[in-house]
Amino acid sequence: MSQTPLVEMIDIEKHFGGVRAVDHVSLNLYPGEVVGVLGHNGAGKSCLMRILSGAMIPNGGEIRVQGRAVQFSEPNDARAAGIETIYQTLALADHLDAVANLFLGRELKTRFGNLDEARMYAATKDVLARLNPNFKNLRDRVSSLSGGQRQVIAIARAIYFDTKVLIMDEPTAALGPSETAMVADLIRQLRAEGIGIFLVSHDMHDVFELCDRVVVMNKGRVVGAHRIDEVDKDDVLSLIVKGELPADWSARNLAEAPA
Amino acid sequence: MSHAAKPVGRFGFAGMEPTSAHLHRLSALLTLILLIMGFSLMAQSFFTVNNAMTVLLQTSVIGLLGLGLTMVILTGGIDLSVGSVLALSGVISAMAVKAGVPVAPAMSLGVLAGAACGAFNGFVITKMRIPPFVATLGMMLIARGLALQLTGAAPISRLGESFGRLGNGALFRVIEMQPNGFPRVIFPGIPYPAILLLVTAIAVAYLLRRRQIGRHIYATGSNEEAARLSGVRVDHVKLYAYTMSGALAGLAGNVLMSRLVTAQPSEGVMYELDAIAAAVIGGASLSGGIGTVTGTMIGAFIIGILRNGLNMAGVSAFIQQIVIGLVVIGAVWLDQVRNRQ
Ligand SMILES: Nc1ncnc2c1ncn2[C@@H]1O[C@H](COP(=O)(O)OP(=O)(O)OP(=O)(O)O)[C@@H](O)[C@H]1O
Ligand SMILES: [Mg+2]
Repeated sequence: MSQTPLVEMIDIEKHFGGVRAVDHVSLNLYPGEVVGVLGHNGAGKSCLMRILSGAMIPNGGEIRVQGRAVQFSEPNDARAAGIETIYQTLALADHLDAVANLFLGRELKTRFGNLDEARMYAATKDVLARLNPNFKNLRDRVSSLSGGQRQVIAIARAIYFDTKVLIMDEPTAALGPSETAMVADLIRQLRAEGIGIFLVSHDMHDVFELCDRVVVMNKGRVVGAHRIDEVDKDDVLSLIVKGELPADWSARNLAEAPA
Repeated sequence: MSHAAKPVGRFGFAGMEPTSAHLHRLSALLTLILLIMGFSLMAQSFFTVNNAMTVLLQTSVIGLLGLGLTMVILTGGIDLSVGSVLALSGVISAMAVKAGVPVAPAMSLGVLAGAACGAFNGFVITKMRIPPFVATLGMMLIARGLALQLTGAAPISRLGESFGRLGNGALFRVIEMQPNGFPRVIFPGIPYPAILLLVTAIAVAYLLRRRQIGRHIYATGSNEEAARLSGVRVDHVKLYAYTMSGALAGLAGNVLMSRLVTAQPSEGVMYELDAIAAAVIGGASLSGGIGTVTGTMIGAFIIGILRNGLNMAGVSAFIQQIVIGLVVIGAVWLDQVRNRQ
């Protein structure tokens, strides 16, 4: 790809005491591309994504968005740059309703600076209808909703605003089959709109279904970055578990390459 | 889901009014009505216009403190310093008056001093990362010590009639001159402190329900990390809440000292506990994110009426403490039981 990447992460580093959560990672994301970020528990996926979403400040490295160097010191900085995140923990305020959560930190206001409830309600209704037509509990506090409904709100919040880059940290973990299919459709649709997506997932099926590339992390390092058509599930599993490709990979791949 | 259909709830804010909180306030309101009925039967002079005005007056101080605490408690914090800040503010106002400052600016100075104490609390909590309990415990000692030090532990009296107006004046007071030359009070009027409480309550409710800061206060107490990730400036929100609590304590201090027309550096000891109790009886959750102005007002009146009614019924101050203690535990217990179901 010759165009400028949407996001360039260069030599990113984050450690907690002796734990190297992210160990000199470099990673690009292009418009209209879905990059799967894989790795076993504790590999550093969430940390890397939190750094890109401004929720965690790296110890070293550089981030560029559309070629421009940026420095995120809080989530609002990343959001202002068009980077939206669906956190693994969803990051919803339990005692607030769907409307309040969707607009949390970016509330719409009337001319007098009051909260514009009517407009926020209408917008929430629209965006939720797009994701799940059965969603009716807009005014219930989100702690009383199901895991799937909560996830839908988190997703809605990430796509409602002018999004260029979407970070999805295990977005289907709490979803049933039909909601998962809905999220898959949504990802394809967003990709078609030119949005770049980082998809953190443990689900091989989803990864091979949706991703253009996969990046595998192990102990904070990137141990493999491949186009999805270069690898199969066993290759990826080997990267995740052993931190390396199977011994026969290059031979197999060379054999396929000319064809 | 009838209420899901209408875009704007009664307060445009139904999400923050979970059914259980509704229930809590309803039962608190019921308790209040039962108390009024009970005391009316026990003491003849309880259910009179005069006594109603006395209750209003007595409740206004706890109410003002309770409003500030509601904001703090909603963020998931606590403010133990309000009783001491109240005293310090009153003392500062009185000292300003003694120094020749006119009453209104002098009182504003006292309120500002309260706000400064609150801001200091907020600073210690957000920047030095000291837990609210400890930070405000420290301020409780600091403000009390300051008040005592500044006055040499002696009350400041002879502050002049105008200093007493805020605490003793009333709107619509009707006085009739009797033939013997003595005035007779026909209607005691609505005490200024009660009006102040009402206006403040409406203002705080407006902030909490209609303004972004209010939304962020609820969000911070609901899930601080989520709020932060959503772009809420959590530190700013907390600083705001503690500053408001300090300012309202300052206001309460001025009301109280004005009522006494004396600045008492030792006033307001343990008032913070009454204020916390008011918020909790009204349904506020000490873990944050749940609580309303209406609830706290009901809670403040329950405490005020309990005190007043028990007094009239001749119950000793010691027994009053026991009763209020039991009411607080009872209120929270009821809430727990409801939430477990
Ligand atoms: N705030 C923190 N303080 C200390 N250590 C942390 C913190 N956050 C993450 N870590 C450590 O960093 C490492 C990477 O964690 P991270 O959450 O990025 O893993 P992950 O790949 O997302 O795992 P999972 O699949 O379980 O979500 C882990 O060893 C974790 O214990
Ligand atoms: Mg993770």
